[in-house]
Amino acid sequence: MDWSHAPAVWLILLPFVASGLAAIWPRRWHPGYVMTGTGALGLAVLGWWAPGLLDGEVVRWQHAWMPALGLDFSLYIDGLAALFALLVFGIGILVAIYARYYMPAHYPLKRFYTLMLAFMGAMLGIVMAGNVIQLVFFWELTSLVSFLLIGYWHQGESARDAARTALIVTGGGGLCLLGGALLLGHIVGSYDLGAILASGDTIRNSPLYEVTLVLILLGALSKSAQFPFHFWLPQAMSAPTPVSAYLHSATMVKAGVFLLLRFWPVLAGTDAWFWGVGTAGLVSLLLGAWIATFQQDLKAILAYSTISHLGLIMMMVGFGSTLGVVAALFHVINHATFKASLFMAAGAIDHEAGTRDLRRLGGLRRLMPITATLALISGAAMAGVPLLNGFLSKEMFFAVTLGSDYGTWVDTGVVLFAVLAAGLSVAYSLRLLVGTFFGPVSLDSPRSPGEPPRWMRVPIALLSLLCLLVGILPARVVGPVLHAAAAAVLGAELPVYSLQLWHGFTWPLVMSIAAFASGCVFYVVTRSYLAEREATAWIAPVSARRVFEWVMVMLTETLPRWQQAVFPARHLQVQLRVLFGMAAGVAALVLVQFAWQVPAPGRIDVGLAVLWLVGSGCAIGAARQAKFHRMTALMLSGGAGLAVAITFVWLSAPDLAATQLLVESVTTVLLLLGLRWLPKRIPGLVRSSPRTRRRRLGDFLIASVAGGGMGMLAYLAMLHPLPDAVSRFFIENALPGGGGRNVVNVILVDFRSFDTLGEITVLAIVALSIYGVLRRFRPANESLGTPHLRLQAKGGDPAMRPAHPGATLPGFMAVPARLVLLVSPFALLFAVHLLVRGHNLPGGGFVAGLAVTLVLIVLCMARGVRWVEARVRVAPLRWIAFGWLLALATGTGAMLLGRPFLTSWHGSGTLPVLGTWHFASALFFDLGVFAVVVGVATLILIALAHQSVRAPIGVVRHDDTEPT
Amino acid sequence: MMTWLPVLPILLPLLAAALQLLAGAHRRRRVAAVSVVSCVALLVLALVLVVDMSTAPPQVYRIGDWPARFGIVLVVDRLSALMLLITAVLALAVVPHLLGRWIYHGVYLQPLVQLLLCGVNGAFLTGDLFNLFVFFEVLLAASYGLSLYGSGPRRVGASLHYIAINLAASALLLVGISLVLAATGSLNMAAIARQVPQLTDNARLLLHVGAGLLALAFLVKAAIWPLGFWLPRTYSSAIAPVAALFAIMTEVGVYVLLRLSVLVLGADAGPSARLGADVLLALGVVSVGVATIGVLGARELGKLAAWSVLLSSGTLVGAIGVQQPLVTAGALAYLAISVPSLAALFLLTGLIVDEQETQEPQQLEPYDPAGDALYEHEDERDLRSPLSVVIVSVAFFATAILLTGLPPFAGFLAKFSLLAPLLNYGVGAQCLFAAILLGGFGTLVAFCRAGIQIFWADDQWVFPRVRGRNVLPVAGLLLLCLAFSAWTVAPWHYVESAAQQIHAAALYQQAVLP
Repeated sequence: MDWSHAPAVWLILLPFVASGLAAIWPRRWHPGYVMTGTGALGLAVLGWWAPGLLDGEVVRWQHAWMPALGLDFSLYIDGLAALFALLVFGIGILVAIYARYYMPAHYPLKRFYTLMLAFMGAMLGIVMAGNVIQLVFFWELTSLVSFLLIGYWHQGESARDAARTALIVTGGGGLCLLGGALLLGHIVGSYDLGAILASGDTIRNSPLYEVTLVLILLGALSKSAQFPFHFWLPQAMSAPTPVSAYLHSATMVKAGVFLLLRFWPVLAGTDAWFWGVGTAGLVSLLLGAWIATFQQDLKAILAYSTISHLGLIMMMVGFGSTLGVVAALFHVINHATFKASLFMAAGAIDHEAGTRDLRRLGGLRRLMPITATLALISGAAMAGVPLLNGFLSKEMFFAVTLGSDYGTWVDTGVVLFAVLAAGLSVAYSLRLLVGTFFGPVSLDSPRSPGEPPRWMRVPIALLSLLCLLVGILPARVVGPVLHAAAAAVLGAELPVYSLQLWHGFTWPLVMSIAAFASGCVFYVVTRSYLAEREATAWIAPVSARRVFEWVMVMLTETLPRWQQAVFPARHLQVQLRVLFGMAAGVAALVLVQFAWQVPAPGRIDVGLAVLWLVGSGCAIGAARQAKFHRMTALMLSGGAGLAVAITFVWLSAPDLAATQLLVESVTTVLLLLGLRWLPKRIPGLVRSSPRTRRRRLGDFLIASVAGGGMGMLAYLAMLHPLPDAVSRFFIENALPGGGGRNVVNVILVDFRSFDTLGEITVLAIVALSIYGVLRRFRPANESLGTPHLRLQAKGGDPAMRPAHPGATLPGFMAVPARLVLLVSPFALLFAVHLLVRGHNLPGGGFVAGLAVTLVLIVLCMARGVRWVEARVRVAPLRWIAFGWLLALATGTGAMLLGRPFLTSWHGSGTLPVLGTWHFASALFFDLGVFAVVVGVATLILIALAHQSVRAPIGVVRHDDTEPT
Repeated sequence: MMTWLPVLPILLPLLAAALQLLAGAHRRRRVAAVSVVSCVALLVLALVLVVDMSTAPPQVYRIGDWPARFGIVLVVDRLSALMLLITAVLALAVVPHLLGRWIYHGVYLQPLVQLLLCGVNGAFLTGDLFNLFVFFEVLLAASYGLSLYGSGPRRVGASLHYIAINLAASALLLVGISLVLAATGSLNMAAIARQVPQLTDNARLLLHVGAGLLALAFLVKAAIWPLGFWLPRTYSSAIAPVAALFAIMTEVGVYVLLRLSVLVLGADAGPSARLGADVLLALGVVSVGVATIGVLGARELGKLAAWSVLLSSGTLVGAIGVQQPLVTAGALAYLAISVPSLAALFLLTGLIVDEQETQEPQQLEPYDPAGDALYEHEDERDLRSPLSVVIVSVAFFATAILLTGLPPFAGFLAKFSLLAPLLNYGVGAQCLFAAILLGGFGTLVAFCRAGIQIFWADDQWVFPRVRGRNVLPVAGLLLLCLAFSAWTVAPWHYVESAAQQIHAAALYQQAVLP
């Protein structure tokens, strides 16, 4: 069918393109024309295809989307799709014309038509989808557009609530449908509609059939507003009336029906299908009709009646009989025509009278006779009056219920319920029509009603006319379309059905008469009672909507609060406990499997053991004191660090020892500077309740397990003979490859210089961050005064207090200050020495940088920040940047010579005076490291030291010149 | 392909940061220009790498010209090139936001961002375990500075927790690396992987402890339950552009988990094959559930975004646990879509929630059940919103759709590509399937509520002033995601071949250690 390829894709694109067009439509012209034109074009294409489609041909078009996953963008237009497309375009045109006069010009009309057209496209996408995933794609799209349209008047709270409910219900249903579609694809092995429709037995016999069916049903029932998801539809009537007429009666809510009809050949025919679809349909049919009878609002009656009629269609689909399918399809057409027409009529009444409340309306027959006539026709069709289309499909429905053979009580029950529901629908139709158009003219309405504009009546008239035509000449008017659609679902096994007005005196006719009579009687008897009633009788206080709201509150309030209570994100301790607990668990899980006998340690080196005892004591003391006396804790941890440094010496690692020693000193001093500004400990904390003691015991246990476990791991790892290839390579290649005798340094600046580059970057980042935070930090009021410890040291002598924050006491540290001044040049020289010799002997850029920093720190301590700043100009940022650039330049230099980044070069030679020289390019790299370390330490020092010359905002500073 | 290309994504941001520091914070134009140039260059680089890698085997760059086993190597393959590209796109989208009002809130914002990029790129590129640790430290240190940026009690409080937890995790990381080194005698990932099948029993146990501790550390970074409760506070209190950048940070954890689990403990690992894979899957499923509850209960837009990050990383870690190429491919597609959308959401949060240091961010109201009145009369008030609010609201709607996985954006396809193969791999994978669907529902409910309150209901909501340069990047990210809805064949092919490439662990080993 080559002739059909191109138009198919244009047909689906058309509404979307039009939607974009409507968004940028010139202000001069009404955007309604775009929608009317789109509908007309669409109808024309359908008309062009009509001969083929009516013959049972299928228009297909395919384009690779995600071919590897079996997802194609494919269009599949058969009789069923064409029938629904006809509704989408046909009612679309009428609604567009109607809305042109219904929607006042000062509304955001472009938004309205853009969304309506987007909906039209999405709905077409559903019905024309040739791939189930693509179907879900458009399915969800309709939910989203429907959400935006319901919330069109978002200033009103009910509209917002309705939009929210509708999106959650239909969107959630869509997610279920996605699951169902994926399962279908999983069972069949393809997402292609043709392939799925061809493997009905595979699907029905699959162990996943029930799950799939439930998921798909959840999607279909929620979309079609079937029990127990029916509650969103009446709320959705907060949307403008054209939206209600188009989306929420004629097209979108029928998507669920479409879906079930689409999958009817592969899913139907099982008990699960009958009970699932049939029950939901039956309950919706009765419940909708019953509630509709009690409503006072025109649109509410229509909304509940929509639920009821959709329930009727669902029930027929659920029967699993072929006649049921035909009846369902027939009623889809009929319902779309009379309900859309009634909605538009209700909108017209609202437009003219300013109210839709039955209690405030009456006698409109005299004021708007044409509208009244048209509404009467459609209303009669809804009630199932002969000569109108509703009568025919209802007869067919009765015939289907009579054909039920699921067991005696089910069959009888179904027939009785069908008559009951039909009776109720007669009753609410009567209430609606009589209450609005007959009786005395009501003077209660806000506006004085008259006939609406002519073009508002035309769509209603066309639809009412259709009701009549179908009702009188069914075979002529809808026969072929219905046949094509039914054939698309049922294939060859089309049932015998006759579309005609008079079938003779049959059981369905008896049922019709009974329903009609009972409905009239019910109406007459309850008329005055219903006229005043607000709520529906006999409905349990637990409504589906309440359950829904309860679930929502549960999900958004109760559950999160519970989670918050169980896993408090505010408490760091809880999270750390979990982390360490899991680490211990991981280690324990594996360690219990250790196969070998762990040998007891052999000879113990007494000296090292004592050193470690002291070190461990310091560490434990630090942990103990951390909460109560920070200063002590800090000093103790310094002691532990020293023990580590000595251990390095003990184990002949002078490089590490020197680094450790300097790092230890610098960090201790910097931390001490910071301690000054921490708040004092809270006295109450010392007193311990049993609870805190328990907690501390727990913490102690965690610490012991972590420490013990770590020791155990280290022990086991050391017992394991290390495959020594790497270290041997380093030792063997340090001199020939890296040009240095100090293997540690060659590792740092050559073998793994990239790591070093990263580490100096980390240092620099930390410094920048600390500076960034402290720059905006102002000391708390309580730590402004002279520190507690200093007061104690001076015996509390007020004369010894500094004049203002940041000032140094007269004579304070006078002797150390002189000493420091004397020593510092030599210390700096030593630092340079460390740097230069680093490649061959213990030393290197890192240590050298720390040494320089230490000099600066000691100077600051002895002479005060101001003194140092006035004399030593260190621009830390420049040092950092310079260090980076130098390291980068060393590395990229190699790249310029065609070698990889950071390839080193070294050589040696003889110079006249200095003798042999030896040089490695890594020295430049080390110089970069040195510069960064100096810059970093200085920056942190400045950041901390400047706190002492600051005061909280609002407190007058003693010294206004803030150092830069 | 030029052989020195792989090292540039690391060096370039470092150079940029150095230049920015040299220029000084007061030279704003110059600093901004350096940022923009660096980010554009990173994007170009990443694009070139992606194009090159789409046909080539993994490419190795030996730093310092030492043999791969002993020195440090950088390895580019399709996966790392993809990650670089995502990072670069993100960075470019964030840069314009850094130039606005945020520069008045602190110092060194732009250098720190460049350094973060350096760390992230390094983590994606390196083929050496210890070097990975170093780059993790680089990116974490930068993230500490960035999360503290702007100060204020709320931010400092959250950041200090973040720092403490991540320091603890880093310590575990270091211990884990040493154990792996002790067991295999190597730091090079390919060498480790080659060693694993032949380890002695005892060495294998050491390796397993080490791997377990490494996994814990990376699970902390990926913020997986029960190690991820620090994330919502930290991300929601960081300034918007920083939070947007942070969206890639959890993915670094995810990336390493994927890389190492497939390379070292993959199907070829002998007795260690699939070690812990089921645990990852289970943790992923639980994380998705927990994050869904978090998303549902979020009372601030920032928190909502942060919990969405958790949802995304839980999904990914679960998918990694399945250890199948097709699922991995779906996960990569999901990652490629969810990171830009999360970033867009954070950026939007900055445009929607007015930052005022003195007060808590504007709160989202609790769920208010609909009133009993069926519906009011049609409310005909016409409150037109200013254009900027309209633009922001459209962007918010689009982002919400993306994160929920609804059409027409590529979020739907990404979710489909992840969900579809999951059904084939047993009960665990099917649990993940269900969890992801439920997570989508939770996200739908949460965003529906938030969007309705902010844009429809709340007349009092104060929108900060929005500039064109702030909206453009968001729009760009969203359009990109829309484009991927239609243009799918080539990207999917790339993602799929990337997944196949990493699952063929021998290929990687062959490239690094010929």
